[in-house]
Amino acid sequence: MLPWNYGFHFGAATYIFMGAFYTVLLVVSITVLNALWRTRRGLREGKVEDIRWHSDFHDLSAADRSCRHVLTGEFASRECPHAFDCRECKTHAKLIAVHPPVHAAVSPDADEAELFGMSFPLDRMYHRGHTWARPEADGTMTVGLDDLGARLLGTPDSVELPEPGSRVQVSGTAFRLHKREADVRVLSPVDGEVVETGGVDRGFYLRVKPLSGTIDMRHLLCDSEVKPWLMRELERLQLALSMEGASVPSLADGGVPVSDIAAAYPRTNWDAVCGEMFLEP
Amino acid sequence: MIAETKKTPAARYGMSIDVDRCNGCGSCMVACAVENNVPPAASGATDRTGLTWIRVFRIDNGAEGSGRRSAFVPVLCQHCGKDAPCVSVCPQQAVDVDPATGIVGQMPERCLGCRYCMAACPYHARYFNWWDPTWPAGMEKTLNPDVAPRMRGVVEKCNFCHGRWHAAKAKAVANGKNEIDPADYIPACVEACPSGAIHFGKLNDPATETAQGARHPDSFRMLESLGTDPKIYYHSKKNWVREISSAPRPGLAKENARG
Amino acid sequence: MVREMAKEMDKEFITRGVRRCSTPRFLLWLAPWVAMLLFGAYSAGLCLVKGLNQTNMDNRYAFGLWIFVDLTIIALGAGAFFTGFLLYILKFKELRAVINSAVVIGLVCYSGAMAALMVDVGQPLRAWFTFWYPNVHSMLTEVTFCISCYLTVLLIEYLPIVLKNRKLRDIPSFLVFEFEMHKLIYVLAGVGTFLSFFHQGSLGGLYGVLRGRPFAFREGFFVWPSTFFLFIISAAAVGPSFLIFTTWIVEKITGKRLVKDRVFTLLARISGILLSVYVLAKTVDTLIWINRTSPALGFTASQYYDWKPFGTWILFVEIVLCGLVPALILLTPRLRSRRAWLIPAAALACCGVALNRYVQTVQTLALPTLSFDKFLSYTPSWQEVGTFLGVLAYGVLVYSFSFRYFQIFPQERELRNEVRPQHEEEPVLAGRF
Repeated sequence: MLPWNYGFHFGAATYIFMGAFYTVLLVVSITVLNALWRTRRGLREGKVEDIRWHSDFHDLSAADRSCRHVLTGEFASRECPHAFDCRECKTHAKLIAVHPPVHAAVSPDADEAELFGMSFPLDRMYHRGHTWARPEADGTMTVGLDDLGARLLGTPDSVELPEPGSRVQVSGTAFRLHKREADVRVLSPVDGEVVETGGVDRGFYLRVKPLSGTIDMRHLLCDSEVKPWLMRELERLQLALSMEGASVPSLADGGVPVSDIAAAYPRTNWDAVCGEMFLEP
Repeated sequence: MIAETKKTPAARYGMSIDVDRCNGCGSCMVACAVENNVPPAASGATDRTGLTWIRVFRIDNGAEGSGRRSAFVPVLCQHCGKDAPCVSVCPQQAVDVDPATGIVGQMPERCLGCRYCMAACPYHARYFNWWDPTWPAGMEKTLNPDVAPRMRGVVEKCNFCHGRWHAAKAKAVANGKNEIDPADYIPACVEACPSGAIHFGKLNDPATETAQGARHPDSFRMLESLGTDPKIYYHSKKNWVREISSAPRPGLAKENARG
Repeated sequence: MVREMAKEMDKEFITRGVRRCSTPRFLLWLAPWVAMLLFGAYSAGLCLVKGLNQTNMDNRYAFGLWIFVDLTIIALGAGAFFTGFLLYILKFKELRAVINSAVVIGLVCYSGAMAALMVDVGQPLRAWFTFWYPNVHSMLTEVTFCISCYLTVLLIEYLPIVLKNRKLRDIPSFLVFEFEMHKLIYVLAGVGTFLSFFHQGSLGGLYGVLRGRPFAFREGFFVWPSTFFLFIISAAAVGPSFLIFTTWIVEKITGKRLVKDRVFTLLARISGILLSVYVLAKTVDTLIWINRTSPALGFTASQYYDWKPFGTWILFVEIVLCGLVPALILLTPRLRSRRAWLIPAAALACCGVALNRYVQTVQTLALPTLSFDKFLSYTPSWQEVGTFLGVLAYGVLVYSFSFRYFQIFPQERELRNEVRPQHEEEPVLAGRF
């Protein structure tokens, strides 16, 4: 094995064979060590949430990963290449330049908007994980659970909110909710530092101060995107319920989700349904 | 494994076995076992799991009734040439052809027991220790102190009584000579054969009986067509005996009943 | 109370959105396999403690059931490297549906083979000698090195599958490590392909180089006999077939659909193409062997088949019945889209490879080389069979455990409520999806 072993023959065959062996060992060790080193770096730089989301996103089915511009009909089909972070996306920037969206803050019609019997006010912007973010006058952002999300959970059994002072990231874990057997992490719509926590009965869950001072919500859905998105989400909910064996009346013919959907399906695996809807595979 | 002796010219030890003289007594088998500390068969051993470094086979000419003739062939490791099939296949380099003597040597201490060499050997000259070696009480007094017994799970085979070569070498060195005296180095089977059917000596020395026997037109080697270049030459005047040098045909052979 | 808690905890480890049977039922499934494993451990223990006289191998049958089984399961486990190669190097994205299953099967096959090998050798504690004093000219050395390295690679490839478990990935370091490992998986796939190419080949080379056994000896290219390349092609051909077969078995046992039909059709087509190449190569090789190689060594090929019961029917079964026939079925779109044809074809292909390995190991040793040899027969002892059953049970246990707690079949969730269409449409292009 080593040149100083008794009986070691120096020859072309030995060099090729042992050379190949040591090369393989080297390549495999380097790969594993590289992965370990990157892991250490990722942990130190606080990339856990980012990685968790990318890993979850990767496991979503193709249909669940469709680009927001498919919702508005600008594309027939397209998979999001940035894990729903449109701030990075050149295609999104180009399309926005062509059709600039009307932001809720500018629009006068900032009041209650009813969509499919649920309340989806347009003064806030929505994350595909069913949370919303609203910029406040003092420069902070309020984060809450949208109406569909709230109805899915009804009255949650318990809520785990982050400590004030802790950081949240876009599509990282904002807070955790428990209902029956469901145990879901809810995605944060924005980056920032948590300054205040709310609750189920306070109308919001978190108040977040942006780290960089400016509020960037380009990755969130607003206005004309919300309705087609919601329609799709209701279809997904139907599919999720039927996958869990619940008998579902078709919501497309005007049915409205009740205020506590979980209670309406007491025997359905609620963990699976929530996992689908809150994008946690 | 075996240090090259640069001073003596390389020998090619071989054998010339006269099949016509062999009467199947089996003394060679017994002498070999005694010399090399081959343990007696364990209980449950069959003729296919025993250790017989040299083994006498009975062959016949295939005729029936009064035309039937038999002969006896001792088969041992043929000590093939430099391309011995068993040498290149051992994964641990536990087998080599000694350049000084031409003997194909086996290192039981390094043997893993994978038995690949046994699959490679066309002469079935290699034997595996299926059991731990045990000697009945009292029999340990017959053990040869010059030869190491082998442990369970390793392969062993004839090595031309290499211990005797070492002893002859030591004696020669002690007497200040370079070459060993042929009378000092005689394998056990050669010594024991009552009819003198086995000749042992240097094939590359034309003066030896072995070399002359090998060059005789009635001499043949087994399975020469395989290109193994063995050093055991068999000699017979009978044509049907010489046929054992070639490939088998279904329906022809017989093993020694005492095998 | 404790049982309830145990069941709850068990559920937490199971992937979201898939249904698994209840814990007691799972334990009931495991019980007979555990019993078989214990019996196997006992048999192997006997062989290790008392010696290989516990087997029916002897000086003529130096290799027996274990070597034959080892070679077969290594050939069947080739699906692991080949699927990895097709997916990560050639980008056949459709195979993502079966890669995890392939890795588990590969892991089980290789580790099982190593375990059986450790019992098979006379001195297992000396196994490191092959690494310390390697004989680079011996095929067995190449086999040892490559298989050891490849088993390590498979273990490393298995790690992300384990770490993706629902509960385990909550641990941040596991989550991040799995993510980083997955980014580098193509390196491991490449190394795995390189290693597998060589060890599948050298397993064939083991017999092809035996000049003392003209039945097995083949001429070849440089130092590699033709059996080197034939073994590689047959292993690559049968890997996808074995994946089809095992996936079908798992679907039957669990009562779930686990992969889309297009995945089966893709695997079938790959297997069919390679099987056809193999049948062609094997036929050419056999003809050369019959007419040139064997006679050159002084052994006429026909005499091998005069020894009963190994007549020429064996050649026919191996090449035609278990080679050409499944190849044709797997290549015919109308037939391979129907389970009734696909599954038997895949099984036949696997049998063909098993028969080939049998012929190379057992028939080679059965045939006499000296003209006064007899044709001898061999039946494995119960200890040998027991050890083999232990390896089989180990494989089933690891796979069952992996199936229950890890995402072996990513398409399972999508397929939960889909109705199986009558005829799945064939993808037009050869596999970049």
